[in-house]
Amino acid sequence: MSNRTITRRDFLKVASAAPLAGVLAPALKGAPGAPRAAGAAEEKVRVVLVRDPSPLGPGGAPPADVVQRMLDDAVRALLGEGDIDKAWKTLIRPEDVVGIKTNAWRYIPTTTEVEQSLKRRVMGAGVAEDRIGIDDRGVLRNPVFQKSTALINARPMRSHHWSGVGSLIKNYIMFVPQPSAYHGDTCADLATLWNLPEVKGKTRLNVLVMFTPLFHGVGPHHYAKEYVWDYKGLIVSRDPVAADATGLRIIQARRKAFFGDDRPLQMTPHHIQLADTRHHLGVSDPARIELVKLGWDEGILI
Amino acid sequence: MSQPQAPDAHGLASYIPATAGPWLSEADQVFDAETIFDYIDGAGEVYRSYNMKLLVARRFHKDGKPDVVVDAFDMGSSEDAFGVFTHDLDGEDAAVGQGSTYKAGLLSFWKDRYFLSVYAEEETAETKGLVLELGRAIAAAIPREGPKPGLLKLLPPEGLEAERVRFFHNHSVLNYHFFVADTDILLLGQRAAAVLAEYRGSGGARSRLLVVEYADPGEAAQAGASFIKVYMPDAGGKTGVRTENGKWTAARIRGRHVAVVFDEDSEGKAGQRLEAFETLLAKAAEGRKER
Repeated sequence: MSNRTITRRDFLKVASAAPLAGVLAPALKGAPGAPRAAGAAEEKVRVVLVRDPSPLGPGGAPPADVVQRMLDDAVRALLGEGDIDKAWKTLIRPEDVVGIKTNAWRYIPTTTEVEQSLKRRVMGAGVAEDRIGIDDRGVLRNPVFQKSTALINARPMRSHHWSGVGSLIKNYIMFVPQPSAYHGDTCADLATLWNLPEVKGKTRLNVLVMFTPLFHGVGPHHYAKEYVWDYKGLIVSRDPVAADATGLRIIQARRKAFFGDDRPLQMTPHHIQLADTRHHLGVSDPARIELVKLGWDEGILI
Repeated sequence: MSQPQAPDAHGLASYIPATAGPWLSEADQVFDAETIFDYIDGAGEVYRSYNMKLLVARRFHKDGKPDVVVDAFDMGSSEDAFGVFTHDLDGEDAAVGQGSTYKAGLLSFWKDRYFLSVYAEEETAETKGLVLELGRAIAAAIPREGPKPGLLKLLPPEGLEAERVRFFHNHSVLNYHFFVADTDILLLGQRAAAVLAEYRGSGGARSRLLVVEYADPGEAAQAGASFIKVYMPDAGGKTGVRTENGKWTAARIRGRHVAVVFDEDSEGKAGQRLEAFETLLAKAAEGRKER
């Protein structure tokens, strides 16, 4: 436990976002934000972190069969169902039209291995192949996504020049014609994307890809190989906020190990906490997250 | 501020060599402040916050070797070119242009109203040499130098870490360099210009001076009052307060300017720095009268 003094700067950082807001409130009258009332006997949200030590291929993913196994193990643990097809049938109905929202960023994409593992299990739940789409930047023009009744959200976590981190919450930015409309206050209100008619209530599973996360960036492209590492993990949850909050903790732990201090991310990733405290999309408080860890634990950082 | 110049994609592109050793260039891509998101997504907001006008991107390719990318930004003014350069000062001085850093395959520098990023997608000894060679060639092709922001002259020199001064307009950028508050309590934005400077004190202690110039005294008064109300509610009419870490924060509002000292060792030292700022402000005003 750290003995560091909580300053007014800490307070003003969390006042609009995190449960810590209550700590200094009496001492700083006039400051914005109000402490969040603690809920009574809230249930924890389950997040599964699965890792495997297999070497990564040139595209940055483990072999396809390893990815399938990781994903299957995570979904089984998440849903408490041993049979993988049965587990997926609790997520997806045969009559669903399913969009797998991926991420095609040049340097760290979702990876074909993850996309195909997800597609295979959606088909295993009884959905015909022509009713499944995989897309990122073209979702608004993609006929499958236009008709979708269910979404699977899968993307890598990486530090980000403006939103702090690229997150599952942020991955739906391509459902708007003008993403920059959501850049205000360093993307504080990205969670409102999840109220768009194209998205609202459709997300059945979130997969945060942590094979080679980017924990720091430089330059306009915000990428340097020096700042990625082979974490070889997947974070899987029904709750995008809980998955993002967990991934963020790993990114921050890696930054601390690498830089030797608590250097803040380039921009505050407050959109994750605000998705909880302001927009009630999910849970960001680690105390309310049940983290299930599977597989390889060397260098797990959490 | 210097007079804004009209952006010129052809002129900007002409500063970039067509080849870089055995690397050949691909077709240029040109973006403005609206289309930059098509190229670098949300990262475009950093450049927009510095009033970017134009970006010419040229990729150099050689089979079997990492690509090298030149991103040449016309920021409209040398002050904003300097400012966006100060957004990331990590790295070694590469002695290119009017100020430069090199780190992890990335050379950043500014000259006149231009900010340049020359980036190797993988750093090797060969690509590092190529990146630096390209940068020097581009800097040599830009014919003029440009002035730094006049606000830098308001920073008292004693203890100043001159190579760590940041210039910006936007509260998100302030928070990146030194977190003040989640909300924009200093009422920053494109109408304001700010410098954040680091000062080294005894025993390695570090304090900061923030100087913001607003469009008019009314805006400065409003911003100063907002800051004091939210950040120093316990000041009780004094200009400084001792904060939870035992350090001192003090603020002054003078004409179009608000100056804030953060994390100084003592109330006296915070006051001395603000007085030194006021002296420099008065000198600058005298200089303007004489001209």
